[in-house]
Amino acid sequence: MAQDNAVLKLSFQYWLDKAVEWGQTTTLESQQDVCLHLPKLQEFLQQIYESLKHMNSTTAVQRFPLIGQLLGRLCWNPFVVGYDESQKTLMWCLCCLYSNEPQNPVELKANSWILSLLCHLLSSSSEWGANEAGTGTFISALGYTSADYYSKLIKNIVLSLVTELKGNQFNGLNVQGRVSDNHVNVVSLFCVPLITLPDVTPLLEALLTYHGGGSQEVLSSEFLEAVNETFLKKKIALSESAILSLWLRHLPSLEKATLHLFGRLISTQTSSLEEVACIIRESLLPQAACHPPIFRIVDEIFKNALLETGGTPEVMTIIQVFTQCFVQAHQKDNKQHKFPLKAYFPPQQQHLVIALLKHPFGKFCLELFGALTESAFSFIFLSYTDLFESWFLFVHFGEWADIAVEQLLKSEDESADTFLWLLAFYYNPHNDKEQRTQILVEARAVYDRLMMLFSCTTLSITDLQAAASTKTDKRQPCTKHLVRHLLINFLLFSSGGHKIAQEFISHVILASNTTNEVFGLLIRTAYRFNQLGLKNQRAVKLVNELLQELRFMD
Amino acid sequence: METLLWQVEQLPGLLAVSRSGQVRDWDPPTLDRALQWGRYFQHLHGRFRAQPRLRAALGQRLRRGQPGPPLGFGHLGRCPELLGLALLGNRALPPAACHRLLRSLLLPPSGQATPGPRSLDLLARRRAAVQLLPSPSPAPARPEELEPSLRTEAQLLLSRLQEDEEEEQGPASVLEHLPGPRVYRVLAALLLEQAGDNAGREGASWAEHREGPRPAAAVLSWLLGDPGRLSAFCRLLPGSVLVALSARYPQLGTPYLHLLTSWGSRLRYDPLRGQWASSRCPSEDEFSWEELRERFSCFMRGPDPLREAALASLKNLKIQDGDFEVCGLSVWTDLLLEMEAPL
Repeated sequence: MAQDNAVLKLSFQYWLDKAVEWGQTTTLESQQDVCLHLPKLQEFLQQIYESLKHMNSTTAVQRFPLIGQLLGRLCWNPFVVGYDESQKTLMWCLCCLYSNEPQNPVELKANSWILSLLCHLLSSSSEWGANEAGTGTFISALGYTSADYYSKLIKNIVLSLVTELKGNQFNGLNVQGRVSDNHVNVVSLFCVPLITLPDVTPLLEALLTYHGGGSQEVLSSEFLEAVNETFLKKKIALSESAILSLWLRHLPSLEKATLHLFGRLISTQTSSLEEVACIIRESLLPQAACHPPIFRIVDEIFKNALLETGGTPEVMTIIQVFTQCFVQAHQKDNKQHKFPLKAYFPPQQQHLVIALLKHPFGKFCLELFGALTESAFSFIFLSYTDLFESWFLFVHFGEWADIAVEQLLKSEDESADTFLWLLAFYYNPHNDKEQRTQILVEARAVYDRLMMLFSCTTLSITDLQAAASTKTDKRQPCTKHLVRHLLINFLLFSSGGHKIAQEFISHVILASNTTNEVFGLLIRTAYRFNQLGLKNQRAVKLVNELLQELRFMD
Repeated sequence: METLLWQVEQLPGLLAVSRSGQVRDWDPPTLDRALQWGRYFQHLHGRFRAQPRLRAALGQRLRRGQPGPPLGFGHLGRCPELLGLALLGNRALPPAACHRLLRSLLLPPSGQATPGPRSLDLLARRRAAVQLLPSPSPAPARPEELEPSLRTEAQLLLSRLQEDEEEEQGPASVLEHLPGPRVYRVLAALLLEQAGDNAGREGASWAEHREGPRPAAAVLSWLLGDPGRLSAFCRLLPGSVLVALSARYPQLGTPYLHLLTSWGSRLRYDPLRGQWASSRCPSEDEFSWEELRERFSCFMRGPDPLREAALASLKNLKIQDGDFEVCGLSVWTDLLLEMEAPL
């Protein structure tokens, strides 16, 4: 408690100095400085209020002798008063300082000063008449208050500013109008405290979609950052075109938005991929990504995330769902000059993209897989980078891996090798020929054994474990992933596997601590079933039951 | 019903007291009661808003025997803010009561305390916003583009007139109590706004199309009803605004032209200086030749019907004066010469 007070006292001096500084000049730099400090100042004021509300006015002045100075200066700074909830906190602090039984002339004077400050903030009757020549009397004679006046006035000011901004652009061309770029810059800076004021939203939209004559960014960067922050915190609702404009003109905002989405997806406990897709769509990033430059940047960020996390399945799933949302948004987009989907990916990958884009949810046919062969992928294995790029592309369309496993188990034919190769590539994109051969050999062995058990109606856990186990102790992690993927699907699609599914999964999870991975595989499968519209099949029901179990286990 | 009317009759008194020195005797419970009355009146407003007869009766009672600006039913709805802000600005309120006032108006509600008007934080924020946002370029391109503060006053005036209209009150009672020259500017703004709105409105009656929407038509008849008022109105406003108004409200065009002619006929030619000047009558306003010329040229720049009317009127007057072609003999000749001179 004492420590808090000490900290508060230190900050107090800091903020008082700041307030003095801001009051002395009205240069652009000092105004930018205010804008940068507004959030922290609001926090500080709230802390002050928290201390003040338990004290009476005399104690308050003893504890914070200069509080009058601080509050006075801040109340005369429209940036501070206009910001978010600072005006509330300032007024509350003033109320706390008002003494209801003034003992001496000093307290009386303090009371009087508090009242005049409040009247100034609220333009109440006495202050008003003095300030805006005649307006106060006029409005009072009509029977209205300053509340009514300012509520309409702000809307009218916003309207005329918006008209001015729009008037500068005639049919998309820039006509040398009445507004200079400098003026627009200043307006955008002055809007920074007002972003969460609903009356100002039309002005924000007009600013974001305004394009000046020159190639330099006309809007102030404080404004662009602040709008982005507020949007990401969901404290403001802007139109899609305004947000798109923001991201197109200000790269840091786009990056922040993508990272914010990522953080949200990783930290939120989602119980289904539908939820993930919902969060992704809400962020407006898939829609924005219909602009190739935005797509490239978002993709780059995802790529880095993948590299930094060493290719964790969660990240791979996020990329997969994002791509699906993006493709859907692209198809819904009605613009005349839409880029074809392959334009979003590097030219070397065009043939792969075309193959991968063939909708895997339609009536499945093996020919589709024909294109995704080793040769297709190895066509461009000229360098390690190319290899990684191909794999990264594949990750975007990761549902193909899920389908490959399903096909492996459902249809016995010569294509098994292709499917296995795809899976091996999905889990292990390295170019080491030896390593890959080993994985393929092991995978094939497990697969063969599983296929032998496929039509058995009664199985035991040990049977399955025997099928999946390896002769050697060491097994590559990627192979383990692959085998687990095969096993889970086996449980879902084989008649014998069904009955022991629950038991097997609990056993496997206990033994190897792979809850997340199994959960991830199951929700991907559930999502795919949903998209195909399958509801009543045995596999579907089983998936949902297993998921329920796992959710409870957490 | 009688109780209700009696209660409502207390409102003017309450508002008057809240602005006066009588509050110096108030203690916290009295203040609480006053604020409660405020909330009660607001509640009445909400209940009876949709009942025209009751509304009219209450409004009438509010206006009974009140000197000064008349009150209306709308005052009931705005009572908490009117009261709160008036008390806040009243220095006679003793500290204890003031302390209670501040707590109930501004501090967050805790437990049982009923919250004060929530719009006050928003008010402070909006006021700061108004100070922050730079006013748009000072010279509006057309007279219809009103400056924001003028437009706001016009909108509020319109609101009030519409409220009164619902209670069958004409605009006269409010307009008479509004301060001098300002009211004319605001009225002009109101009429321009209304004309703009009316242009696209469907379902307006033929009368409305001809004369403008109801409050506007009533306002115009009030203006036209008194020659002194009309004269002051036309004198104050610039020619461009008046021509814009005449274009939309035909009932204004003719009286305005008449006024111009009566002003013009007071000008006398001063041969020493070679110009027209107003007669040296101290009681009349100075009305210069330049201004007359400016106003007529606004007519020339206006829409065709007005232009034709102004030209016809000038020609007529010229003929009446003797149909001179030479300068310096008839003010109308000279004006016509100016108007028809190529720019």
